[in-house]
Amino acid sequence: MMLSVATAGVILLAVCIYPGYALYFHIGETEKKCFIEEIPDETMVIGKYKTQLWDKQTNSFLPSTPGLGMHVEIKDPDARVILSRQYGSDGRFTFTSHTPGEHQICLHSNSTKMALFAGGKLRVHLDIQVGEHTNNYPEIAAKDKLTELQLRARQLLDQVEQIQKEQNYQRYREERFRMTSESTNQRVLWWSIAQTIILIMTGIWQMKHLKSFFEAKKLV
Amino acid sequence: MDVARTFFCVITVLFVIVCERFLALAAFSQSLDSDFTFTLPAGRKECFYQTMKKDASLEIEYQVLDGAGLDIDFYISSPSGQILYSDQHKSDGMHTIETEEGDYMFCFDNMFSTVSEKLIFFELILDNMDGDEEPDDWKEYVHGTDMLDMKLEDIMYTINNVKARLGKSVQIQTVLRAFEARDRNLQESNYYRVNFWSVVNLVVMMLVSGVQVYLVRSLFEDKRKIRT
Repeated sequence: MMLSVATAGVILLAVCIYPGYALYFHIGETEKKCFIEEIPDETMVIGKYKTQLWDKQTNSFLPSTPGLGMHVEIKDPDARVILSRQYGSDGRFTFTSHTPGEHQICLHSNSTKMALFAGGKLRVHLDIQVGEHTNNYPEIAAKDKLTELQLRARQLLDQVEQIQKEQNYQRYREERFRMTSESTNQRVLWWSIAQTIILIMTGIWQMKHLKSFFEAKKLV
Repeated sequence: MDVARTFFCVITVLFVIVCERFLALAAFSQSLDSDFTFTLPAGRKECFYQTMKKDASLEIEYQVLDGAGLDIDFYISSPSGQILYSDQHKSDGMHTIETEEGDYMFCFDNMFSTVSEKLIFFELILDNMDGDEEPDDWKEYVHGTDMLDMKLEDIMYTINNVKARLGKSVQIQTVLRAFEARDRNLQESNYYRVNFWSVVNLVVMMLVSGVQVYLVRSLFEDKRKIRT
């Protein structure tokens, strides 16, 4: 009885810490995989990854590999590096954006031993949470002593706040888009007029020059 | 010895209960939607995998945001290797699959392009992955008199409804963001294109007129030499 309870506890614990049903992909040894997150300002982003190494002997992926790390580099919309760190085989990175725009999250493996005993294949499970998805509601519920209903209401408030932030950012992007469109339209108009004027002037100059040339050569 | 065993048993049971409670809470607030935007270089193929449970549903929506032609090849294959959907040269697409147990693979193929790299956005929406954990949770936390139970249930139903709608709102927002990003990139490349070709046009015109004048003049120079 004690053994079964202990086993149940261990299994449940394992379920608790497993990242769940995250997307995964394969990465080569020197390959760098980059993802772009377009986010408004003052938004928190949490990324979690888990790596697995291909085992040639058992022809399957090992559950976890010590000593294999991933280098995470995050750039802000102005191409400045805001995070550049090495993490272990399972890692969790966090950053908060200070300018709205496209942030780039790049991952690459730092290990050169991979080709030696893995056949060069690494499986990376990745999960990136943005904005109110980063809130840890069980923790908030415990800290503020909220009932289920209050927690649901809090979650709804956070979600609506995130929607509002995204919509503000969308307005700013639409403004930029409209400025570029209008600038393009204006430029098309001015360039066409300028081209036509230059064309006409060049034609007139050509004719005048040739006429004076022929007259000078006493041909006309 | 017996005391120790009983103590250990009690601690384990308490731990299991606490852990299950957190798991339930984590389940109800965990988002199973994820979206990614990445750059696919020319002549490359990029594949992603998603582990699914039986009788869940997987919805994938993708868009090409940047890159000449704004098109990509896409296919999804089931855990048994059978190709479920295959799109050729599409700029966006959406597919919903009723899943079985296993790893689904979906790939974006840019092999047909030799020079242009594509910026691709995709969103995965997973449904029914929890099973039926949530209804049990709610029953646990509803106390009070009968009348209070009914009212609380109504309120909870409304709140669930609102949460579902807001979730849908967020998804639509993400899609709109992708559309807007694509339009914006198109217009910006338009802008550079107009600038560049206008300057080229101007230069070519001036060059041509100069060459014309020179050629005609050179014709007459030779004749003069012959006369004298």
